[in-house]
Amino acid sequence: MEYDPMIMDTEATGPSVKITEAGSHHVDFELQGVDLAFANSLRRVVLAEVPTMAIDLVEFSANTSVLADEFIAHRLGLIPLNSKNVDDVAYSRDCDLCNDRCENCSVTLSLHARCTGDDIMRVYARDLVVDGGRANQWVGSPVITDPEGLGTVICKLRKGQELNVKCIAKKGIAKEHAKWAPTSAVGFEYDPHNKLRHTELWFEEDASKEWPKSKYADWEEPPQEGEPFDYDAVPERFYFEVESVGNLEPDAIIQQGIKVLQQKLASVIQTVTEGEGGDINGMNGADDYNNGPRSPDTGMVGSGWQGDTGYTTPGYGGGNASTWGAGAATPYGATPYGQSHSNGWS
Amino acid sequence: MNAPDRFELFLLGEGEKKVTEQTDTRTANSAVFTFNKEDHTLANMLRAHLLKDQHVTFAGYKVPHPLFATFELRIQTDSVISPKEALVNCCKSLVGDLETLSREFTKEYELRKMVAGDGTGIDQ
Repeated sequence: MEYDPMIMDTEATGPSVKITEAGSHHVDFELQGVDLAFANSLRRVVLAEVPTMAIDLVEFSANTSVLADEFIAHRLGLIPLNSKNVDDVAYSRDCDLCNDRCENCSVTLSLHARCTGDDIMRVYARDLVVDGGRANQWVGSPVITDPEGLGTVICKLRKGQELNVKCIAKKGIAKEHAKWAPTSAVGFEYDPHNKLRHTELWFEEDASKEWPKSKYADWEEPPQEGEPFDYDAVPERFYFEVESVGNLEPDAIIQQGIKVLQQKLASVIQTVTEGEGGDINGMNGADDYNNGPRSPDTGMVGSGWQGDTGYTTPGYGGGNASTWGAGAATPYGATPYGQSHSNGWS
Repeated sequence: MNAPDRFELFLLGEGEKKVTEQTDTRTANSAVFTFNKEDHTLANMLRAHLLKDQHVTFAGYKVPHPLFATFELRIQTDSVISPKEALVNCCKSLVGDLETLSREFTKEYELRKMVAGDGTGIDQ
């Protein structure tokens, strides 16, 4: 390691996971060996920043149903679409193969239904048909999990009514619109006995009698009678309950979330260390940082550590297995880390 | 409607940098890093991890305005390492932790799948 090792409690053990329950649409697990901030960041990223596919544009050729175009367009957007290996799909805005959209960055689905019988006809998600090519064989197909294989109802048609639409599904994240959310809910819990007093339980006579016990309460030691409050205690065990919408497998959601976090960190490392090596002033070389008056002693200029670029160039590319050196074969090998930079840590 | 575009929450604007560093001249060995198009997800994780570094004497962040996707992370160190080094070390260490987590999760999940075996637990 090129730098002083950090002193931290997690380093002894590192994060550890215990899966308590798993199914095709959910996974419950316990996370240990991390701090609250880390666990919360994982929760936040899984909720809002894992990319999936969803219908984003709808072209109406015919809509004589009772629902307005925008109403149906909204409903279509909310239909979960399979997002397995969504990494194969480019974001439409970054796609360099096209100006508008192409098979590399979108999936086209069409739906054409006309009611001819006397009964009311239902149009289901299964009636959406993928047109043309797509980045891989899964991406963009409507998620259908009911035993009849119908999917969600999009609208109902009466005799003579017709719906003919072309939908463009794109990759996106839930931060932009909730239709791209991979999860319907993420449960997050710690300290079931409220020993840390992070919350206050309102009560009439006795909080312990009036409040239901968490299902995790049996997993942790209940507080002893008259036990003094431990001011130094920090949360240590976090209980996650991740529910998938169906577009990604529950384990894929977590793995993608981890990857997104790593990419965020990687882009920070990359921008912060940019241009180092040749320019001993590092970031200070750029005009943006240089415009304030500076007293010499606080300096980024010429003080001992400034010229030390020990952690940049040599550490990366060349097989030095630093903290995350094993990463060459990992998903983020091909991420912002890797891009085209002369500082050699691809 | 004058609502800002939703993508402004995560897409860097033209010429905008992810992180900029401003040396804090009021105290020695301190700097304020301004992160663009990031929120508490990254900020709090970095802050908490920086505090575990023995060379870091202060780490704190603020989101100057809730409508703008930006935060300021102030780091002060002892003179052994610079705030920038502390930040980079912190990021690398977190990437490592996440890698461990990913491996642990895969291991546990595969194990779970094997135990559940024929469709009892994880089906599909």
